[in-house]
Amino acid sequence: MTSPIKIDIWSDIACPWCYIGKRHLEAGIAALGDEAPDVEIEYHSFELSPDTPLDFEGSTVEYLADRKGMPLERVEQMLEHVTGVAAKAGLDYHFEKVAHTKTLKAHELLHFAKARGMQLELKERLLKAYFVEGGRVNRIDELIGYAEEVGLDGDAAREALESGRYAADVQADIAQAGAYGINGVPFFVIDGKYGISGAQPAEVFSQAIAQVAGEQGAAA
Amino acid sequence: MSDVDASPSVTVGDASADAAPRAPFAMISGDPAAMVCEGDVCFIPAADSSPTRAR
Repeated sequence: MTSPIKIDIWSDIACPWCYIGKRHLEAGIAALGDEAPDVEIEYHSFELSPDTPLDFEGSTVEYLADRKGMPLERVEQMLEHVTGVAAKAGLDYHFEKVAHTKTLKAHELLHFAKARGMQLELKERLLKAYFVEGGRVNRIDELIGYAEEVGLDGDAAREALESGRYAADVQADIAQAGAYGINGVPFFVIDGKYGISGAQPAEVFSQAIAQVAGEQGAAA
Repeated sequence: MSDVDASPSVTVGDASADAAPRAPFAMISGDPAAMVCEGDVCFIPAADSSPTRAR
């Protein structure tokens, strides 16, 4: 009997391709059907843009146009494109609702959830909150609500966030990414052997997982 | 940016292409048009020198 294939993923909440990549990975695993090996997925923190304001009150189009010095029309075209790719992955992005913010507290909550075996559920909830619902994923009260929705204890989550108990774990993840030379996300490491950068198509994940499973079988 | 409709193959490459040489894993190249986000920008690493941003 082989052990589950570990999939480590560096990812941010405020990362449209991370959510799309998550769906592609899930589709890749599902495509293996009955042949799919057991996998164990662990998300690691990555802060794409540390200088993001804590509470930007404008729209995504305004934010990007201002930050990048790009015409509004071009930003709108980009967002339409991303929305279209997301839709192909089954995601209903609403950039008009997205509330730009720092994501460190959300990452702390993901570590809290990981310690309680609920990280995957919370990761999905936070990504949906950010890209579909326009949630403020930096605000503790809102984060507690998401935590409770997935079955975590709200009081314990609040204590963890207010005390910053998992802040060091977030920074450790970010430092590990730096040590690996990971500059962009999503970034996947399959069984500690193979790195995959970007929101790759589902087939890439299927093939990589099947390859690792084959190697495990050969070594057994 | 690019859609991800191609049929990529899994090719194990040199880890130095996308990660530090000391990274304990080999890189799978996959689809070179797969998007990543870095900082404020999201782009195609292999093809795009003028990043587009969609955070």
